[in-house]
Amino acid sequence: MSSVPVAQTTVESVEKPDRLGEWSGKSIPRKEDGRHLKGQALFTDDKWQHRMGYAHFVRSPHAHARIVSVDTSRAEALEGVFGTLTGDEVKDLSEPFFQIAPPPGGNLKEWCLAVGKVRYQGDAVAVVLAESREIARDAAELVEVEYEPLPAIVDGIAAADPDAPLLHDEVGSNIVWHGVYDYGDIDWALENADHVVKIDRLHFHRFSSTPLECNAAVVNWEQGTGVIEIFSNNQMPMFASLVIGPALGVPSNKIQFQSQDIGGAFGIKIGSYPQITALALLSKKLGRPAKWTEYRTDHMLSAGHGNERTFVDIQVPVMADGTILGVKVRAFDDAGAYLHYEPLGAVIWSQVVPGCYKIKHVQVDFTETVSNKCPTIPNRGYSRMQHLWLIERIVDVVATELGFDPVELRKHNYIQPEDYPYETPNACVYDSGDLPKALDLALGAVDYPAWLKRQEELGTGSGKRIGIGIGTTLDSGTNNFGQARIINPELPFSGNGEAAYAKLDLYGEVNLNLGTTPQGQGHETTAAQVVADILGMSPDDVNVTAGFDQRHNTYVAFSGTYASQFAVTGLGAAMGAAEKLRAEILKVAAYALEADEADLDLGGGQVFVRGDRERAIPFIGIANLVYSNNAVLSPELAGSVSLNCRHVYVPPFQVPDHEAKTGNLTLTYASQTHVCVLEIDEETGHVEILDYAVADDCGRVINPMIVDGQVHGATALGIGAALFETFEYDDEGQLMQSSFYDYHAITALDAPHIKTEHVQTPSPFTPNGAKGMGEGGGAPLHAVCAAIQNALDDGAPVVSESHNSWERIYRLINHEPNAPRGVEVVTR
Amino acid sequence: MSDERDPVVSDEGTAHAIEVTINGETHKRTVLARQLLVHFLRDTLGLQGTHVGCDTGSCGACSVIVDGQLIKSCMMLAPQVDGASIETVEGLAQDGELNVLQRSFNENHGLQCGYCTPGMLMAATDLLRRNPNPSEDEIRHGIRGNICRCTGYVNIVKSIKAAAEAGAGAAEEASR
Amino acid sequence: MLLESVEYTRPRNLDEALRALASREGAAVLAGGQSLVNVLKNRVASVDLLVDVSRLDELRRIEVGADGGLEIGACVTYDELERSDDIRGAQPMLASAAGHIEDRQIRNRGTIGGNCCLSDPSNNLPPLLIALGATMNVQGPGGGRQVPAEDFFFGYFMPALEPGEILRSISIPPLADDAGVGYQALSVGHDSKAIVRAAAHVRGGDTIEDARVVLAVVGPRPVRHSAMEDLLNGAPASAETVERASEAIGDGDGLEPISDAHGSADYRRRVARVLARRAVYEAMMRGARS
Repeated sequence: MSSVPVAQTTVESVEKPDRLGEWSGKSIPRKEDGRHLKGQALFTDDKWQHRMGYAHFVRSPHAHARIVSVDTSRAEALEGVFGTLTGDEVKDLSEPFFQIAPPPGGNLKEWCLAVGKVRYQGDAVAVVLAESREIARDAAELVEVEYEPLPAIVDGIAAADPDAPLLHDEVGSNIVWHGVYDYGDIDWALENADHVVKIDRLHFHRFSSTPLECNAAVVNWEQGTGVIEIFSNNQMPMFASLVIGPALGVPSNKIQFQSQDIGGAFGIKIGSYPQITALALLSKKLGRPAKWTEYRTDHMLSAGHGNERTFVDIQVPVMADGTILGVKVRAFDDAGAYLHYEPLGAVIWSQVVPGCYKIKHVQVDFTETVSNKCPTIPNRGYSRMQHLWLIERIVDVVATELGFDPVELRKHNYIQPEDYPYETPNACVYDSGDLPKALDLALGAVDYPAWLKRQEELGTGSGKRIGIGIGTTLDSGTNNFGQARIINPELPFSGNGEAAYAKLDLYGEVNLNLGTTPQGQGHETTAAQVVADILGMSPDDVNVTAGFDQRHNTYVAFSGTYASQFAVTGLGAAMGAAEKLRAEILKVAAYALEADEADLDLGGGQVFVRGDRERAIPFIGIANLVYSNNAVLSPELAGSVSLNCRHVYVPPFQVPDHEAKTGNLTLTYASQTHVCVLEIDEETGHVEILDYAVADDCGRVINPMIVDGQVHGATALGIGAALFETFEYDDEGQLMQSSFYDYHAITALDAPHIKTEHVQTPSPFTPNGAKGMGEGGGAPLHAVCAAIQNALDDGAPVVSESHNSWERIYRLINHEPNAPRGVEVVTR
Repeated sequence: MSDERDPVVSDEGTAHAIEVTINGETHKRTVLARQLLVHFLRDTLGLQGTHVGCDTGSCGACSVIVDGQLIKSCMMLAPQVDGASIETVEGLAQDGELNVLQRSFNENHGLQCGYCTPGMLMAATDLLRRNPNPSEDEIRHGIRGNICRCTGYVNIVKSIKAAAEAGAGAAEEASR
Repeated sequence: MLLESVEYTRPRNLDEALRALASREGAAVLAGGQSLVNVLKNRVASVDLLVDVSRLDELRRIEVGADGGLEIGACVTYDELERSDDIRGAQPMLASAAGHIEDRQIRNRGTIGGNCCLSDPSNNLPPLLIALGATMNVQGPGGGRQVPAEDFFFGYFMPALEPGEILRSISIPPLADDAGVGYQALSVGHDSKAIVRAAAHVRGGDTIEDARVVLAVVGPRPVRHSAMEDLLNGAPASAETVERASEAIGDGDGLEPISDAHGSADYRRRVARVLARRAVYEAMMRGARS
């Protein structure tokens, strides 16, 4: 066999004084709750400015059409309308957005409003500003757009066909990115395996976590200062700024983002930069603040859907003992009409190439296409969950086809606790874990043996089937943005980081601000917990600035809240800033107490001499000396402390090898192991979930209650996606689920009670042992699909779709006797 | 943020003088027939605790209690509440102190992003008035009309259950 | 989304409401509004005057006749249907069905009349009202008329109402001592949009009589399946009978299910057969118990 790459990546373990413990690790109720519970939070639609107008976008009813003309005269004549903005104006006033893809995909031109053509149902052609929400909508209906419809392409694989209708002339085809990821020696593995399991096709569907608060922004291109003030719920404002600035020809110091409370985001709210750009132009043109609150229907049509991926020609070499040697597959990712954050999805999945298993030989031929559908945008579990679903489906299909027990097959192939740090075939380093233990805990929580017995007792003839499924998944967190170079070697991105700013305020209070834009993850609380531990005080006395304000929060280009990283990057930054502040406090205290710094300690908001708590100075005394009594300090001391401490946490990354497509792409690998027990009504395909358990491992836990909450949320969204939630287009490119009427967001009656178990394997690579978590890696999709498969008879087709409506399940159960199963085993 | 806003002057349709009592305070306003109750609360009166999460009366973020009945305020028109007494999330805390239900949501992590929370609290308030001691199943039925995308409902159910056990239900029942 | 400009009036009694409705072409009745407000937000209907009848006492009464028959005012809410002792006593399945309409908020506002007058083929109550042999009492400018429920649901969003008419109440005859009612639905999620509904009514002890089998979401309007009813009537009350009768549901039986995001036409037809069988069986069991 050819050689498997030897270790290419080294990650230094972090060894620092561990001051966490008194507050960190406890389920402290959240500091941010009070304002929410009293109805006093500040969401974007709550923001109001004098002279503000309300914006409404005019959207295309066609999936693909040439724009013949746009006539805004009737809209502008309506009383109460301030004005309009069209694609033609935008073309004159701004530049197309920066593209991540290299040419030819990177030749794609997108402005903030459609220019010349519309490319999906919901593509924005104009925007109206009026004195009320109602009049804005009235006026939008008066904008007359003449379209010349063009043939639409809605299938992401068919879009790659040279004869398919072309979306972007300047790209030359609908293929925007293609690359082959080739690790180990898949040909050797296929030749030498005892069995090769071949699966025809697996399709991961479009859905969205649909945050309950839609996108919104109040944008004011302030005429006096030339600053564009943006109050919005965009969750990655620095990325948005890097895209918006060049489009508008405005330097980044003239773009000021703000947010306070964000009503869920899940990745979807990365995608509001085109609308914000249009609002900026509208504000400038009309000399007024422009407020936009997206309607749910517009959100469903145009805010962005999660990545849809189709895997074909899947080949899995397996040894007689069940060892899975590798995977060979062709993958097609359908990005929709424009590239919003894409084609990063074409590399992000490779953070988890072998999933949770010691799979050594992997070849993925990856193609990303555009089609006449809503652009995709990162959605909780972004790009990894699609790949992990593939791997989990493979493991279960192998178990079913070759007669292995799915539990034993997993345990046999899992990366074992002693294997960490584990280097994957593409040189990622999994930091820590104990997957067999997590699986045992999850199985124990549902009483697996009892369900197996129940399944057997039920037998045939009852009209019901019980299925039990396992989904093991990784929540890779803290990206190395250098992976973007695997997509486009010219991109000047690598590493990651987050900033925090801690200060001792005038009367000795501690204040912390961060570059993050939390959406419910409790940053104000967990940051206060770690800072409190480091500064020897109560978290109640640490004020963490609510929300993000570019005018005074500190930040780096990577700032924001996305990609399961806060516990590492955000808390890493907070801890670093608190350590710096602690050092300054000690320095001043040593001077004031005439003691050696090494003899001092912090506690109860004071600095005291160890062993003599009477010799102490409270923080207010420290603040007094530095801020308002500094003549008593030595000039050296006065000149060397500010009690204002900024820290940027920088994770230990190197630049990946873009030719080999290898490198350490993420710092941490939290895991979740899900077990789902469900019952199917054979005659209708209807499913009830009977039992559900999750064992999670995110290393050291700072606030267990918050971690459990994230697990619950990711689980419900995943179950929703597996059974209810899907975006489907008809052949003409019309979206069939454009409101919560047809897009059935999982309700309290549909969601099961979720049992949680915990494994804690601290990460050796992070400042606090925590591993970022929250996205959850789509594990319920794996577990539900596995459970459905488990309920089917041996001759049934493979569960090949990630979304299974009642009808789809009905068809799987009531399959034709000789229906193609979509799977074949070749045994040597 | 809760100041009253510029009146809209350019709209057509009938205007109606209405008088409503909200959290015990009486408001007299002239509203347009087409204004949704939720926008009357948010835009006209500046009571922004009540949220909008959809267009179709599906999500429950705008839930308030009108004359003792839990309703979705995006599915009623402002003129329809003339003479009514309305309870919103802003009326739950007394003298700035969280009530038993609110405290229970805090202690049991019954909220994450907080956007569904006001509607969820109103649904739970209504549930506990009708049923001071609900089972898990009854709680889930009680909040069926309120979508939460963050919590998976687990800790919301737990919060309501704990609030009932702490006497929130009995208190609500007595307050009817 | 938001409504077009509209006028609003709240008449003090039914006569005033009828006059307001007759006053212009674009007048529409606003009851609970749980569907109509959505229709208006989507701007798919041109309505320029809303006549709010939701508070009219005349439309909010539940009356029980000497024979146990019910007359239910059109503006009785789902919640009132669910909680009414009169309805729970006389028509427990109606109370139960009302209790599974969406959610608490909608049940507090939505009305039995609104559920019928929208004539949405996926709505909860129409198939059940047909199975119960209900009569719709319609009031117009020129007086009242009665329409059997079977004929009231004319087509997609088309109730059998003339311009200017209003649904005043719904009469439901008493259930015979040996009668039973069954109601089954397959929904996307719990208490949500239906993929198929089936309601059934049967009488008789050992032999099935007076079978009414109604299917919904399998065409533009809820329909009685006469072929299945014929196979049931006069046959012995047994699971085998019901099973055999349900096989009448299939190709060429006049059902016109649509294919949409929640199921294909073929699937709906197959599920209709299952739910019809279950509904009839449920009715038979309930009848036998009473």
